[in-house]
Amino acid sequence: MNIAEGILLVLTSLSYLAATLVYFAFLLNGRGASTVNRVGARLLALGASLHAAHICVASLYLHICPVEGIHFPVSVVAMLMCVVFLALRKRVRADVLGAFVAPFALTALFASRMSGGPSADTGHVRNVLLPLHVFVNVGGLAMFGLAFSAASLYLVQERLLKRKRVEGLFQRLPPLDALDRAEHRFLLGGFPLLTVGILTGTAWARKVEMGGTADVLRFGFGYAAWILIASVLVLRAAAGWRGRRAAYGTIAGFGFAMLALLVYLVRAPAAPPSPVVMSTVNTTVPQIQPPSVIGIVP
Amino acid sequence: MSRGPIVVVGLSHKSAPVEVREKLAVPAEELPQVLRALTHDPHVGEAMFLSTCNRVEAYVSPRSGSNATPEQLAHAVRKVFEARVGVNARIDPGHLYEREGEEAVRHIFRVAASLDSMVLGEPQILGQVKDAYDAATENQALGHFLGRCVHRAFTVAKRVRTETLLGAGTVSISSVAVDLAKRIFGDLTDHVVLLVGAGEMAEAAAKSLGKGAKAIRVCNRSLPRAAELAAQFGGAASTLDTLEQELLLADVVVTSTGSSTFVITKEMVKRAMRARKGRTLFFVDISVPRNVDPQIHEIDNVYVFNVDDLEGQVREAMKARVSEVAAAEKIVSNELDEFRIWARGLAVAPTVVALRARTRAVLITELERTLGSRLRHLPEGDRAALTQMIESATNKLMHTPTTRLKQASVEEDGPDMVRALTHLFDLPEPHEEGPKDTASEKDAGQAAQDGSDDKAPQTH
Repeated sequence: MNIAEGILLVLTSLSYLAATLVYFAFLLNGRGASTVNRVGARLLALGASLHAAHICVASLYLHICPVEGIHFPVSVVAMLMCVVFLALRKRVRADVLGAFVAPFALTALFASRMSGGPSADTGHVRNVLLPLHVFVNVGGLAMFGLAFSAASLYLVQERLLKRKRVEGLFQRLPPLDALDRAEHRFLLGGFPLLTVGILTGTAWARKVEMGGTADVLRFGFGYAAWILIASVLVLRAAAGWRGRRAAYGTIAGFGFAMLALLVYLVRAPAAPPSPVVMSTVNTTVPQIQPPSVIGIVP
Repeated sequence: MSRGPIVVVGLSHKSAPVEVREKLAVPAEELPQVLRALTHDPHVGEAMFLSTCNRVEAYVSPRSGSNATPEQLAHAVRKVFEARVGVNARIDPGHLYEREGEEAVRHIFRVAASLDSMVLGEPQILGQVKDAYDAATENQALGHFLGRCVHRAFTVAKRVRTETLLGAGTVSISSVAVDLAKRIFGDLTDHVVLLVGAGEMAEAAAKSLGKGAKAIRVCNRSLPRAAELAAQFGGAASTLDTLEQELLLADVVVTSTGSSTFVITKEMVKRAMRARKGRTLFFVDISVPRNVDPQIHEIDNVYVFNVDDLEGQVREAMKARVSEVAAAEKIVSNELDEFRIWARGLAVAPTVVALRARTRAVLITELERTLGSRLRHLPEGDRAALTQMIESATNKLMHTPTTRLKQASVEEDGPDMVRALTHLFDLPEPHEEGPKDTASEKDAGQAAQDGSDDKAPQTH
């Protein structure tokens, strides 16, 4: 890690931490909603900017493109979640989602550091589909992360309402329908990306032989996520599955997507970062291997 | 109070859950029957029955000339309550409260001023007390004493509203319901409000909800009344026959009918939710007995809140008004003092009247005797002048004793003074003037007013 990357990492972490504290303070005491939302959003925006800068500096330093390498997936997903949330927060009228997004971004930032260094086999995967596959999967995960946040808050809010505990936390969380709509919109935004991710992953998988158990698991979790989220959207439109059922479906879908990513991260080799590796790889002849790309599907 | 005690027996949202209150609730059309049952009791002279969604109370005072104790009066009320509940049920004594004398008067003052309401300072209760007063008056159940007490309660309520901030803001059960609706739907600009029932509470709810709702629909047993209310808010009206169809259109349903059974059933809502494709439906059941089956709350995306459920929200809203309670209570105490003075004056009034009558009778008798003998030659004009002189002399003679007697009644020396005057002038034993004894009542009231300058309100 060079000095610039280290400084950016610390500043990003501090911004996310401050945003987390601001949102949690609001959830605890419920005072100054508008100020808290404004300050929290600014801190989150600062954190996302620093986070983007950190990814750029780190990828430049490591000579790895973020949408091609395996080093950045969780980190990029978290950063994108922040960006999408900040862009849509006024439209979805659920500012308190920041209380999910900020700590998730902070955790993801550190998780990406803990998941090992950049992979040496990045260079093996050279295909026009690769950047697209990685980009849509990362974008889709960011959207599903937000949908998961909205769904979780919906379940909390719905439970409070069913138990008729309509003071305190209930008053601080967004309106029930706003959370339901937000969850639906994030799913609608993420589903096409996930579908493209599935298609590109499947197209790539047809060219290679399946690997071990991890590949099978990634396949399984990826398709399960797609089927679950597709079911949530279809049943909502056709059979009126809203609210709690949709929230459970969304959480399960996001869970499978994250499992696919987790399997990938666990499976990914953790070779020490070295620009030399990158230059060496670039001079070797590409070989067809099971895809080691950032994605929740093969 | 020197006059026979006012007694109140009842239950409220503070003492009993809605399941109990709804058993005792009396719809407006049954009030005459209940008032008759109360006033037919040999001890009860005056009665007023207050039945709202948050309280059921009977106020009684003793019959003219009766020495009924508070216990006897309370027993009379409990008998009526028990008759309403039926032979197969009983009222838990812990749910009922009883107050007598000054505490009963303070209670009605506090109730009318909305100091005892679920939502502190809500305005509806005053209208409901006025309705109870009107019903009691129309059924000739109210007389001078309890009637005066209720009038004084109206004055208290008016003073509290104008001299404190207890009624500031828009907090009421309906506005609490609106707030809850907004916590569910965000804003109501895209949502339809359905009022089931077209009474006073429905109207209040419509005023609160109508400000932001996309549309207001009114569903009522009587179509003309529904149309009348709907017209106020530019909404549509229908009868209860079309209620299930209305549930497909509505997002917020406010029920406030007088029905004693569930108007909205679980099966009805299940069918509606299938047709609505799961869109959220929020019921605010402000009626007692409840109109919405509470089991409906178990259905996905459907929420049912009755009056008791709103209490949590009410507590929050009350915090802002609590600081005004002390000022309002002070007004209650001041008015209670005034009423006490008036009531004590009322107690000495028969003695004042009797003393004046005795004095005048003696003087007139002596005058007539003289005019019939030694002064029989006097012309008619002079006779009239002498009679007028007697009247003036009576007034002047009685002025100081009357004033002192009133003063004594305020200072709690009234009974001693009354006994002394009765003994000295051989006056008839004073007895309580019955509320329906119009002539005595008028004299007594006038006598009391002479001393206290306490003017009864003519309108409310």
